[in-house]
Amino acid sequence: MREIKLFLGPQHPGMHGNTSVHMYVEGDIIVKSYLLPGMLHRGFEKGMENRTWVNNLALIPRICVVEPDINEMVFAMGIETLTGMEVPERAHYIRMIILELARISIHLMAYGGIGGPTGHYTMMYHAQADRNTILDIFEKITGHRIYHQYIVPGGVRKDFPKGIEKDIVDFLDDLASRYTEHRDLGIDNPTIKKRLDHHIMLPESVVWELGVTGVGMRSSVNKPYDLRKVTPYARYSEIDFHVPTSDYSDATCRVDIKLQEVVQCIGIIKQCLAKMPEGPVRTKLEGNGLRWKVPKGQVYSAVESSRGEFGYFIVSDGGTKPYRIAVRGASFPQGLLGVEKYLPGQRMDDAALWFDTMGVCSPEIDR
Amino acid sequence: MMNSMSNIELVKDLKARYKIINADVVRDTQIAVDVTNGDVHSVLAYLKSQGWRQLSILTNIDWIDDGEYQLVYIIFNWDNPIWVQVRTRIDRDNAKFPTITSVYPGAKYYERDVHEFFGVEFEGNPEALQQLFLEGWDDMPPLRKDFDAKAYSDKKYSKREYTTDFNTKEDEK
Repeated sequence: MREIKLFLGPQHPGMHGNTSVHMYVEGDIIVKSYLLPGMLHRGFEKGMENRTWVNNLALIPRICVVEPDINEMVFAMGIETLTGMEVPERAHYIRMIILELARISIHLMAYGGIGGPTGHYTMMYHAQADRNTILDIFEKITGHRIYHQYIVPGGVRKDFPKGIEKDIVDFLDDLASRYTEHRDLGIDNPTIKKRLDHHIMLPESVVWELGVTGVGMRSSVNKPYDLRKVTPYARYSEIDFHVPTSDYSDATCRVDIKLQEVVQCIGIIKQCLAKMPEGPVRTKLEGNGLRWKVPKGQVYSAVESSRGEFGYFIVSDGGTKPYRIAVRGASFPQGLLGVEKYLPGQRMDDAALWFDTMGVCSPEIDR
Repeated sequence: MMNSMSNIELVKDLKARYKIINADVVRDTQIAVDVTNGDVHSVLAYLKSQGWRQLSILTNIDWIDDGEYQLVYIIFNWDNPIWVQVRTRIDRDNAKFPTITSVYPGAKYYERDVHEFFGVEFEGNPEALQQLFLEGWDDMPPLRKDFDAKAYSDKKYSKREYTTDFNTKEDEK
């Protein structure tokens, strides 16, 4: 059969963001494929070097569009390590609530995203509707729906508004009550299940070769390799939660783990709300924020994003601006190397499912 | 697999085995070691055999005042959670370094990224010479400190000239 050159994306219902897969297919089997990134390259790393530490707070959330809070968290954690700033106890809990709400929202979005390549849009609409409620909650807390600029070095920008706890709990209860409905629409639906079962397997050896982390890694290695457990940041060490794992990583399994993580997130947020002490939420910066200096040093700070280890390598030369910041996009391994090494041999309609189930965020690959 | 080590024990272990120029304990789960150019491969291979199986990031810093680049390899061990920054300095004008894809295959694209943004040539990884993000780039690698983004944009894109002729009636004539 003749080999055909084919592009998947950047405009395609199954594609995540403006990136494209260039593949050669024989019949419907992929022979060779690679990612064409760069369409979202906005020069963040250079841009950050030209702004002060405080000005950067407005820039960094834009690095990953769907899950911006992790950027603020790693940036704040890195600066706190360099300066030795103390974070008030209450702020830790608020940060965890924000991060977990963001995790639910992106897992729902990824889950709904499977509706694109499988042709079952109803699950997408349901998932997006729930995500929208989370965005409403974010708007009440931070004033913004997507880019919150809420987690800042030394705590969070401001305290929770009055009565927001009730909104959060109401939403969580609502989501928990419709959890089976989401499952029935998606992975418990026989048509979708048949499409996902035993497809796009991710063997353990491939995980280590590519350097995949997050859901992909845990679904294959069967160990709780989650940074929230392994190197607890904020106050995750005081929260009781379980990390779902598996040793048979097909598409169904990875989606299932994402949904199980949503259940864990609900538990984490409820515990945070119960354990959250009263008190200040922010340590003020010393002096003028625009002339604020961070001591000399090099630190790598990372958190567990919905796609895996997400980190910043922050270098300060003691000045008012960062000397260098390198971003470790969590989906860099599965997005670039995974597509090149792993997609060949799969069917071409599985390419979009790889992006959905592994979680690939093209803005954080391009930066 | 050896028993889990603390960050300070790990620094001691590395100091006993290799010529460590400088070692820092950044925080409880992170250490940084400056090694000589020749030791990078053996330090990484040794740590990988001890469980540091994941390359978190490979990046580069441009210390323009010293005329040097600093390559930083950050690796992580999931069973003994310590990030290790393995750092080495290379000459900025003749930036070449052997590839580490034989130790960490995942470094392939990070090396391509560093080549594109700093111009470091990784010997033994020919693919790293191809462009990745910057299509049709025609200037020096942009993350070098001497690259001026504003000057590049002024040179590359002509200033838009605005005419304030809104007199449409003239056209109708």
